[in-house]
Amino acid sequence: MDRRDFVKAGGVLLAGTTCAYGLPLLSAYSLSTPSPEGSSGKRKWGMVIDVRNCSEGCNACSEACHKEHNITSRGEKDWDIHLIRRVTVKRKYPAGAAAIAEPLSVPLLCNHCDDPPCVQACPVQATFKRDDGIVLVDHHRCIGCRYCMIACPYNARHFNFKENEEWANKNYTRSTHGVPQSCNFCAARIRKWRKRVEEDPEVLKREPEPVPACVEACEKQALASGKKKALTFGNLNDPDSDVSKLIADNPARGIREDLGTKPKVFYIGL
Amino acid sequence: MEVKFQTIEGKSVQFYLVLLVFALLILPGAFSTYLMYYQGLHLSGMTNRIPWGLQIILAVFYIGLSAGSLVISSLYGIFGKIEYKPFARIAVYLATLLLIGALLSILTDLGRLDRLSMSFSYFNFLSMLSINPFLYNMYILICIVYLWAMLKEKDRFVKIMALIAVIWAILVHSGTGAIFGFVPRELYQSALLPPSFISAALSSGTALMILVILALFRFTERPLDHRLVVRLGRLLAVFIFVVIYFIFVENAYRLYMPESREAARFFLFDPVNAAIFWGGLITIGSIIPAVVLLNPRTGGSIPWIIFSAVLVVFGVLCERYLIVIPGLAHPTDLLPGMEIADSVIDEGIVYYSASIHEVFQALAVVGMIGFLFVLGLRLLKLLPTEAKIYE
Repeated sequence: MDRRDFVKAGGVLLAGTTCAYGLPLLSAYSLSTPSPEGSSGKRKWGMVIDVRNCSEGCNACSEACHKEHNITSRGEKDWDIHLIRRVTVKRKYPAGAAAIAEPLSVPLLCNHCDDPPCVQACPVQATFKRDDGIVLVDHHRCIGCRYCMIACPYNARHFNFKENEEWANKNYTRSTHGVPQSCNFCAARIRKWRKRVEEDPEVLKREPEPVPACVEACEKQALASGKKKALTFGNLNDPDSDVSKLIADNPARGIREDLGTKPKVFYIGL
Repeated sequence: MEVKFQTIEGKSVQFYLVLLVFALLILPGAFSTYLMYYQGLHLSGMTNRIPWGLQIILAVFYIGLSAGSLVISSLYGIFGKIEYKPFARIAVYLATLLLIGALLSILTDLGRLDRLSMSFSYFNFLSMLSINPFLYNMYILICIVYLWAMLKEKDRFVKIMALIAVIWAILVHSGTGAIFGFVPRELYQSALLPPSFISAALSSGTALMILVILALFRFTERPLDHRLVVRLGRLLAVFIFVVIYFIFVENAYRLYMPESREAARFFLFDPVNAAIFWGGLITIGSIIPAVVLLNPRTGGSIPWIIFSAVLVVFGVLCERYLIVIPGLAHPTDLLPGMEIADSVIDEGIVYYSASIHEVFQALAVVGMIGFLFVLGLRLLKLLPTEAKIYE
């Protein structure tokens, strides 16, 4: 190869690389316009969890969630996917108080942070935050690098280590192996509701706002046992919504708010 | 004082045998990657708690080694040390291959290899894992141009490219350190990781170059002035101390601060970590080679230098493990002041061990690097006829 050839080949290579890296600029521009899937900026979905009402031994929320999202539980601790999981919590300090205090039962899930580290980490913008505050993974764009799982301080992202055969609920895409997953506040339910509102605005007055499968299951369980429900879902931007009222009337806080992630799942009694 | 370069003849049985061995190493790894691609990553040793494993450890290890090679070539290219000119070409060639090896390691580790094109179509300027592949690809291009300039003996252009390559290498290694340092996890989050990553890169890379140079000159029966290797050995000793310094500062800080003390204790004294940290990195990887290299009797002897170079490479491999795994093995402090139990993922300490498929993949990347390296010796004029100190 003489010099002329080399310069030519090098030029083509450089031009190619420049183009390849120029594309993202264009796509970044197009991303700034709201997608039809994204909801209006008026709503910001959030959840309030009153752990005082969450009872040990009840797994209604996670069971409903698995059913909604076609998740197969194989009983493999290392690989099973849990979009919502219940843990038992005890106070560590001081040692004496720990013995007296009752252990708490706490459901943990994706906090749909307003400043999400997973969105920051994703190299291909497959993880993104919608206008209505829901953090989602685009399962058709994700390359499976798992950097979001590393970046999430809440262990909320779980990975599809195995292929999922079940696909009963067609409202959600079948998650293939090789992509991570986390709670999406049942985005399909919200999408369906929004579509109906668009067709007939009267729906807004007639019907309550949609709730995720876990909240629905928790309400049902509470009604059946005559207790108060632990999970409440709603619009944080509306001062009259149930979630806003709960946050106003009770000392509610998000998990690890000190990290600056601004979680939108609030806990009462933790 | 003209240094003449030539290709190796490459007609001997040994040459083809070496090529064959490297090629055979690739096969099982290729099959494992195929299996994982079709069946899922449960074939690896990774879990929801430890989603990064051997491939990532080795990727950062190769990226580090690549820097060290480049430094050897810059001794000639930037600092004008003519006695290192004989090693300049081979160093840049190896640096390029090691970075390709690092990219291959990351690729084989992806959950959806088929969507690789996405990383060219979508870019996230906030993601370290998006910025770094760009830095790596440009680095490979720069190294190729740099090597071409040397092969064509364009001395002024070589000087310019050497400077660009070294500046870019600093970006590459800071960036790689930042993949881990800029993450909100107790044993990851650190501003010291990028410079500390560079220091370990320099020491492991120099050690590898010493080994490669000695092996090449011996097997191709070229005369080599051993004083050159002894000088590189002294350089290596300096790098070892820089690595130790960074590691000392980082861990002293973590132990001193009450909030990270518990994590630091896990990092330093958990049985597995302690064996790798105190045994692998500190004793085998740093103290023994430093003593050997600085002792006037052993520091001048080639077998002892080989011995310590092997130990340093091993020590930095341990250091790379300690960057990736303990930060994931240690539970995140989800509810400060609270103890979590009965969780599927959050509590307790977990351990990682690589599966056989991951080992195969790792060997395949080694095979790929080795194959291209040996082949390059025959196709390109990389090796000098001799290496000596010009008085």
